[in-house]
Amino acid sequence: MSVLITPTMVGQVVISGLLAGSIYALVALGLGLIFGVMRVLNVAHGPLMMLGAYTTFGLFQRFGLNPYLSVLVSMPLLFLIGVVLQRFLVRRVVDAPELSSLLLTFGLSIALVNLAQLAFTSDLRSVEYLTGSFVVGPFAFSKPRLAACAFAVTITAGSFLFLRGTRLGKAIRAVSQSREVAQVCGIDVQRIHLLTFGLGSALAAAGGSLVAVMVAIQPEMGQVYTFKSFLVIVLGGAGNYPGALLGGLLLGLVEQLSSLFLTAQVNEAVAYVLLVLVLLIRPTGLLKGRV
Amino acid sequence: MRRTLPVALGFLAVALALYPLEATGYGLRVGLQLFMWIALAQSWNLISGLTGYVSFGHVVFFGTGAYTASLLVNAGMPWPLACLSGGAAGALLALIIGWPCLRLKGPYFAIAMLGLNEVMRVIVSYAEGLTGGGNGLSLPTLDASRSIYYAMGLVAAAVTAVTYAIVTSRFGLRLMTIREDEVAAEAMGIDTLRYKIYAFMLSAIGPGIVGGLSARDQGYIEPISVFPLIMTITMIVMALFGGKGTIWGPVLGAVVLFIFQEAVWARFVYLHQLLFGAIIVAVVLLMPRGILGVLQQKYNLPRTI
Repeated sequence: MSVLITPTMVGQVVISGLLAGSIYALVALGLGLIFGVMRVLNVAHGPLMMLGAYTTFGLFQRFGLNPYLSVLVSMPLLFLIGVVLQRFLVRRVVDAPELSSLLLTFGLSIALVNLAQLAFTSDLRSVEYLTGSFVVGPFAFSKPRLAACAFAVTITAGSFLFLRGTRLGKAIRAVSQSREVAQVCGIDVQRIHLLTFGLGSALAAAGGSLVAVMVAIQPEMGQVYTFKSFLVIVLGGAGNYPGALLGGLLLGLVEQLSSLFLTAQVNEAVAYVLLVLVLLIRPTGLLKGRV
Repeated sequence: MRRTLPVALGFLAVALALYPLEATGYGLRVGLQLFMWIALAQSWNLISGLTGYVSFGHVVFFGTGAYTASLLVNAGMPWPLACLSGGAAGALLALIIGWPCLRLKGPYFAIAMLGLNEVMRVIVSYAEGLTGGGNGLSLPTLDASRSIYYAMGLVAAAVTAVTYAIVTSRFGLRLMTIREDEVAAEAMGIDTLRYKIYAFMLSAIGPGIVGGLSARDQGYIEPISVFPLIMTITMIVMALFGGKGTIWGPVLGAVVLFIFQEAVWARFVYLHQLLFGAIIVAVVLLMPRGILGVLQQKYNLPRTI
C-alpha cells in the first residue's frame, strides 16, 4: 500500500459505501421486521432475495421489462411465496427455541438454492441495463448504484410510513411489542405473522431486483446477503427501522473504507470485529427499540 | 441393562478394531468418516446440547484444526502430534471467542458463531503466504488410512466418554442448569460464564483433532473444503435426530444419517441439497426431541442415556 490516499479518494469511497449501504439496509429491513415480530432469524432471507433477482432477470429477458419496474412484480410474487412459507412451515417454529427456526430456515435456504439450480442452472446471468457514471466534480456516481439507492430509499420510506401510519402497520408493531396484549386487543396474531413474513420476503425481493442490474445473478448469490443482513440488524438494533438504515449505511461504509485502507478481502473480517464489539458493548444495537 | 451395555460395547469395540484387517479401501474410508461424524456431532452436543447455546459455526474448529495440523506436518512434525495440536488450536480459538461471545444470549451467540466461521475462511484465504490462500495446501503423501481409522475411532470414543463423564458429574449438572434457566443458575452461585467457556473449549478439541486427521487423510485442504456451513448443519441435524443433550443420541443420529446418506441420498446428485433441506425440515418439525428424547419421555428412561 504505497499509494497515497487523498481526501478525494476517501470522499469517493464514502459515496460508494453509502450507495451500497442503502441496499444492505433495504434487505436487512425485511430480516429485521421478521425477527422483531416473530423472533425468527430467517437464514433463507438471502435465497428469497435471489428469487427476486431471477424474477427481474426473467422479465427483462423475456419481455424486456425495465428492471426497476420489475420490482412491482417481484415484490408481490415474493410476498405470496413468503406467506405460503409462513403458513405451512415457519409458523410451526415461531415459539420453538431458536435452534429450530435457524435449522428450519437453513433447510429452506438450501432447498431454494437447489431448486434455483435446477430451474435456472448455475450459469452466471446479468441484466445489461444501466451502465456508466455521472461525474460531479472529482466524484463519480455509478448510475445503476445511484438508481438502486434511490429506489431502496423510496421503498424503505414507503414501508416505514406503512408501519407508522396505517392500522395494519400499527397492528404489526403492536404484535412486535407484545403479542399477548395485541391479541387481547383483538388483533389476529397469526394473520399479522403471515403478513410480516410476506412483507419481509417482499423487501428481500426488492433488494434482489435492484442488485440484479449490478451483480452477476446465480443461485448462490443470496447467502452473503443473509450474513450481511444479520450484521446490519445487530448493528442497528433488531426490528428498529431507523436502526436498520443506520446499520446498513454503516456496514457499507466500513466495507468500502476497509477496502481502501486495508484490502477488499478483509471486508468481512472488519465487519465481523465491528459486530462483536457492538454485541459486547451495546447488545441492543446502536439504536434501541422495536419496529 | 447395567451389565449388558458394557459387554456389548466391548464386543463392538473389538469388532471395529478388527474391521480394518478385512475392509477394502472404500470400506475403511466409510468407517473413518462415520467416526468423524460421531466425534463432530458429539462435540456439538457438548456445548449446545448441554448448555443450550447454539454453536452455529462449529465447523470453524474443524477447519482451524485442519490448517494447524497441515502446517505443522509440512513443518516436519509427526502427524499424530500435529493432529493433537489441531485440537489444542481449536480449544484456544474457543477460549478467545468464547470469552466475549458466550455472554451473548439467544440467537446473538448463533450469529456470532456463524460470522466467526465466515471470517476464519476469509482470513485463511487471505493469508496466502502461510496457507496458500484459495489454492489450498498439500500435504506430503502418506499411506496411513488404517492408522487414521484407529485415531478417528479413538477420538469418537473419547468425546463420547467425556460426554458421559460430564453428564454424570456436578459439572454436567451445572451446564444443564444453565440450559434450563441461566438466571437461576447464577442465583445458585454458579459462575456461568466460566463453565460455559470450559464446555465450549472441550467441545472444540474433538473437531480440532478430527479436522487434522481428516486433512492428513485427504492430503489436500482448501478454505471452502474445511469451513463449509453445511458441515455445521450436518452435525447439528445428526445430534438433533438422535437426541441432543443425551449421551448416545448424537452417536445414534450420526450412524443412522451417515448410513442413510451413503446408501440413499448420495445417488441423487442433482437433488442432493433439496433432499437434505427436506430432511432438516422434517427433523425440526416432526421430531425436535430426537429418537432418544422421545424414548426417554415415553418409557421414563434415565437422564444418563
